[in-house]
Amino acid sequence: MTRQKNNQDKLIKSFKERVKELNCLYQVEEQLRDTESDLDKTLEKIIKIMPSGWQYPEICRVRILLNDKVIQLPDFTENLWHQTAEIKTSEAQYGKITVSYIQEPCDKKDGYFLKGETKLLNTISDRIAQFIWSKELKQKITQRNDNGLQESRESKNEWKPIIELFKKSEKNLYINISQKMLYYLCWKGVESAKQLLEKITIDQKFEGEDITEELNRPLKKEALAKIMTISDDIFDIAANHLSKNIIMSSIQKWIAEDRFRFLVRAIDDSKSSLSEIIDALTRYHHLDSEGVMTPPAIEKGLRVSLIRRFFFDQLEFINITKQYTEVNDYYDIVQRIISPADSHGKLGGKSAGLFLAAKIIEKETQFPELKENIKIPKTWYISTDGIISFLRYNNLENIYEQKYKETDEIYYDYPNIIQIFKNSYFPPEILKGLSMALDDFGDKPIIVRSSSLLEDRLGSAFSGKYKSLFLANQGTKQQRLDALFDAISEVYASIFAPDPIEYRKERGLLDFQEEMGILLQEVVGNKIGKYYFPSFAGVAFSNNEFRWSTRIQREDGLARLVPGLGTRAVDRMVNDYPVLISPGNPDYRINLTPDEIAHYSPKMIDVINLESNRFDSVEIKELLKNIGNDIPGIENMVSILQDNLFTTATSILGIDFDKNNLIVTFEGLLNKTPFIIQMKHLLTVLKEKMNTPVDIEFAHDGKDFYLLQCRPQSFSKEISPALIPKDIPENKIIFSAHRYISNGHVPDITHIVYVNPDTYNDISDLSELKSIGRTVGRLNKLLPKRQFILMGPGRWGSRGDIKLGVNVTYADINNTAMLIEIARKKGNYIPDLSFGTHFFQDLVESSIRYLPLYPDDEKVVFNERFFLSSENILNQILPECSLLEKVIHVIDVPKTNEGMILRILMNADLEEAIGFLSEPSTGTTIYSSDEKEAVKKPADDFWLWRMHMVKKIASSLDPKRFGVKGLYVFGSTKNATAGPASDIDLLIHFKGSDKQKEALQHWLEGWSLTLAEQNYLRTGYQTDGLLDVHFVTDEDIKNKTSYASKIGAVTDAAMPLSSAEHI
Amino acid sequence: MSQYNPFETAQAQFDKVAEMLNLAVATRKLLRNTAREFHFNIPVAMDNGEVDVFRGFRVLHNDARGPGKGGIRFHPQETIDTVRALAMWMTWKCAVVDIPLGGGKGGVICDPHNLSPREQERLCRGWVRQMAKHVGPLSDVPAPDVMTSAQHMLWMLDEYETIHGAKYPGFITGKPIGMGGSLGRTEATGYGVVFVIREALKDMDIRPEDTTASVQGFGNVAQYAIQLYTQMGGKVIAVSCWDQPDSKAYTYKKNEGVNLDELLPITDHFGSINKDKARELGYEQLPAEAWIEQDVDILIPAALENEINQESIQKVKPRVKIIAEGANGPTTIEADEIIQKQGIFMIPDFLANAGGVTCSYFEQVQSNMNYYWEKDDVLGRLDNKMTSAFIAVYDLAKKKKLYMRDAAYVIAIDRVASACKNRGWV
Repeated sequence: MTRQKNNQDKLIKSFKERVKELNCLYQVEEQLRDTESDLDKTLEKIIKIMPSGWQYPEICRVRILLNDKVIQLPDFTENLWHQTAEIKTSEAQYGKITVSYIQEPCDKKDGYFLKGETKLLNTISDRIAQFIWSKELKQKITQRNDNGLQESRESKNEWKPIIELFKKSEKNLYINISQKMLYYLCWKGVESAKQLLEKITIDQKFEGEDITEELNRPLKKEALAKIMTISDDIFDIAANHLSKNIIMSSIQKWIAEDRFRFLVRAIDDSKSSLSEIIDALTRYHHLDSEGVMTPPAIEKGLRVSLIRRFFFDQLEFINITKQYTEVNDYYDIVQRIISPADSHGKLGGKSAGLFLAAKIIEKETQFPELKENIKIPKTWYISTDGIISFLRYNNLENIYEQKYKETDEIYYDYPNIIQIFKNSYFPPEILKGLSMALDDFGDKPIIVRSSSLLEDRLGSAFSGKYKSLFLANQGTKQQRLDALFDAISEVYASIFAPDPIEYRKERGLLDFQEEMGILLQEVVGNKIGKYYFPSFAGVAFSNNEFRWSTRIQREDGLARLVPGLGTRAVDRMVNDYPVLISPGNPDYRINLTPDEIAHYSPKMIDVINLESNRFDSVEIKELLKNIGNDIPGIENMVSILQDNLFTTATSILGIDFDKNNLIVTFEGLLNKTPFIIQMKHLLTVLKEKMNTPVDIEFAHDGKDFYLLQCRPQSFSKEISPALIPKDIPENKIIFSAHRYISNGHVPDITHIVYVNPDTYNDISDLSELKSIGRTVGRLNKLLPKRQFILMGPGRWGSRGDIKLGVNVTYADINNTAMLIEIARKKGNYIPDLSFGTHFFQDLVESSIRYLPLYPDDEKVVFNERFFLSSENILNQILPECSLLEKVIHVIDVPKTNEGMILRILMNADLEEAIGFLSEPSTGTTIYSSDEKEAVKKPADDFWLWRMHMVKKIASSLDPKRFGVKGLYVFGSTKNATAGPASDIDLLIHFKGSDKQKEALQHWLEGWSLTLAEQNYLRTGYQTDGLLDVHFVTDEDIKNKTSYASKIGAVTDAAMPLSSAEHI
Repeated sequence: MSQYNPFETAQAQFDKVAEMLNLAVATRKLLRNTAREFHFNIPVAMDNGEVDVFRGFRVLHNDARGPGKGGIRFHPQETIDTVRALAMWMTWKCAVVDIPLGGGKGGVICDPHNLSPREQERLCRGWVRQMAKHVGPLSDVPAPDVMTSAQHMLWMLDEYETIHGAKYPGFITGKPIGMGGSLGRTEATGYGVVFVIREALKDMDIRPEDTTASVQGFGNVAQYAIQLYTQMGGKVIAVSCWDQPDSKAYTYKKNEGVNLDELLPITDHFGSINKDKARELGYEQLPAEAWIEQDVDILIPAALENEINQESIQKVKPRVKIIAEGANGPTTIEADEIIQKQGIFMIPDFLANAGGVTCSYFEQVQSNMNYYWEKDDVLGRLDNKMTSAFIAVYDLAKKKKLYMRDAAYVIAIDRVASACKNRGWV
């Protein structure tokens, strides 16, 4: 007990120290931000700030030595108790900085200086060095420009003095330019330069022979040093072979590129840690804000590397993201990254999706209003390896084995894991970062979201498997931190929850080392009374998979709106409903009569209670009475229902919160504001630019619209409507349905698990109700996969109220071929469909079909006798569950029906579905079609075939006959991303006559048509021609205009084909 | 497999009473069928620029006693036989409470889910354009029905008045207050139930303050019935209602009498009582069917159809003297026979819950005068109407020894038949 207490005290003490250090660093940073300010004055301020970061500020003094300058307070003395750091960059040494105590500190148990203090000193000295460096650089640039101007007036191309200047003052740059010049000369075919190059490389090889591999670096240095010795020769050769103009412009270009070399190195080096990259980006940002232009090729390369480093190396994602992001965009992010020391982590899927969406919106031109009207809440990130360092720090690494355990065991262990995690400590770097984050957030509530590497990648939405938690973020800093620690531990623990593990197992992702990033996001909203909440929030989908009107197209999308926090729109609710709108067609509503509208309107609102520090659900009716007047935009959210007529107030003055019968309809929002049009535009833009239907979360504080999340919407491929035979004998029909039918068919069902709605409803014992869900889960493991269906009352998997439907999670039903919810009429109760929730997406993603049955509808068959009187084999499969026989019926269809199976056909166009007994399908490939959907087949060989044909074209093309200087391929064929309908992009470097060009075009046309025909035969895709040919001339290549820029481009360069060598 | 036909069912019911009344062949012929029917096209310009054509109906079953009265339904599976049956039912319903209106019904085959509000407005106006010559405050008066609401009525009224170039608020009912609607509409049905219970008790010579009751349902009808009954001195000791979270009903019991003032604040818009709060207030939470087993004088089923059936009727305590059907069709045929045998006094649905249609009539009367009564005025007149209606049915039942349900039918059909005869139609 006491030991624990001691540990705790120690932790708190060290934590306090960290906070002190951070504050100090902040203040120093504040001084260094302004590079315009006077150096001496800035440093004078810094020596006064710095002692506050050390243990004994009263006796702590600082001295900065800078070349011949000394900056210190009068009473500074360098005593035994001091520490020193050098002020230097990789380019230059500027001086040193010393922290000294003017008398011996009394408590020296931990040494005179803490580890953190040493680090702090180093950080500050680095920052000062950077500050001086950028000041000097600026000066040089201005000088250079001035010189340049002078020269241009006198003799235009006097480059020699510049080179001389570099040779003396900036050796590295000088070597670099010399080397580049040498390569350039060689590339231009200058013989003397080639000899020079050969000379130094031969030397290198010769020396390299008895040197071991590890010594690569010094070897390189030597080679570079050699360049120094021959540099004069290089420039002499240059002067002889190149025009002054070219030399001057090349040198200028290289100087520019050199300035960004540090960033390229940091990012491209897989060994550099996140913090090194962050440093480099910060430096870049300073350069950039000083107006130093980045050469475009470098910028492009950096973009791609950064995407790879921070997010995914998925080609699809990179291709899209690079179009919408700039290097500087990352600067904003890195300011808010929390990562372990030497982190190599990324930020995870959720962060990636939101970042990309934000950038797409920023650059949107078709609907410029989006850029103005959509905001992103303040966000901090914990890198994905945060969890690993957390586990390592607490000796918990072996917890990763958890995922290989049996599902039952995983269930059993999970609560314990949460407890263990909550009682663990965070590594100091993360602790420090979180503390900074909290300072940044202030006392605004925050949400802790998971952002895993598996989640939200293009092509798969690993949706909602991990936790998201709200924090009121109230109280003292320590209290707020504790709450944050708790929340993060819990989110970390959710990696080991049964559901995600099961999901990953199914997708073959189990062996993937799951790393989880965390997003800390400010909760959008207003403080009203004791509550904090957005006026309204919700989710929206590009594709509407739940069309309640024939007038609504799939592409019209779907939005689920709720007042308050969006949790009620994301999750499935019991006894409450979000307002559903199709943004492309907002006029068609699910509910029509005033009664219906009122019934299916939101009744509860999720808020953060700032007094109790809790997430709360409260009744809207009550909330409106008390604080309705203070909710921004409330007049657009509610309608007044009186005398069977809805009216919407034009302003808040028209609402009497005490007397009016107020119903949340969002009628004003839809009719009086551009909200829904903007939503439609947003969905359209994101879908188009991300090249996939998306799923977004949003919130609105009454003033602004905030995008909270954006990820691909999981969707099943369009399934064609099944033909429904009309000659099925009546006695073979088990059920039929006419409402909410989707397209498709479920063949050859051998087993039915039927939960009897009547007997289920009669169960009064909660544990018995729960055991039904568990038994279904066990049957799910035992019955043949995708050959059985689950049928039962109400809403399966409702979170919260078990009475409404069988209590299952996705893990309990993941093997079924179909989930059928039976809605027996009970008063005016019609079951909410499992839609728009995480559960539904699971069904869609796993190709588990869903069908609602309304047995009490007219003209519907529901053969209850079949379910109740067929032999129940539950007893045989799970003898220990035989007590539940009255509720759960397990039917072996072929066994009780002379070998017949159950077949289900669904046709959405006819709004008809039917389940009937039939002979089994012939052949063996019974379930393959479904299985294929679940595991997406990798991209076909479309590109390979195209590449093959392109090579064939290249080899048979006679360059002399057609005046072709070079032939290149680019685009999807080169990138191996071609689909069945992709064309082949060819680039022809042409240097012939018009006649030749015409002949060449004819010749290629022939190929194009032949290839199109071949492609049609292979894939069924019809095109007018398969070749897309672009001509470029020498001049284009010289000026890098149009497609010529593809040749030799840094990213996505066109690939030369062999015929080019024929010339 | 012969399909269920609602009109044939309604005709069979009529035939049975016609036999009892020994109506003339011509009268039977006249009343077995609808007086006139309109089937017409309604072209509607849709939002997408195309034109869609909808099928509309208006059926008048009989207007011997006054202008036709009946709702307009928007329904994708609307059939003419449903509309016919409902029009006939309206004739009897108006006649039993002796209001001077005939029976009608109308509809459009459409699914409003597929119609934008603007398209629905054009559909409503289109309906009126087709029917403007044949409907009106003095000939046939529409009202809201399935999937139509006050908004639709206002569109229709506006079109009608535009065509006729004058104000005719009496053309349609179901309008909001201030737009030609009547006060007291919310209370009407519930109060009506209690007015007839009061009259029944009077005839049994029982003072209301000496009685107790149990109510099924806690919606609009039940709430106002409980209110008025309690005001009269009676004591409701049990009320059952639907519990949305549990998707089942419960009965809440309090022996000292349920208190509306404490229940209403914990009840939602749809009559679901918060069970936890009810228990806190000292209500006993019992299974759904407990309401019928209470040892009370009066049962008021005011929720669903077929709640009093062969099974549940066995649980009714001997003390029960009156069953007043606040809901439509709460008693199954089998249970009805048992009730009849046991001699429990039955106030049948179309008498007991006629407060609603009576108030609609009042709305039309006020609209025609363009003068609107105070609420007390409306409810006072409602009391008079319901009381007279009850006395007429009760007298007939007593004199002719008829079961109340049969007496109500007999009196309704007899009134209509007489009107036809007096007019010289048959």
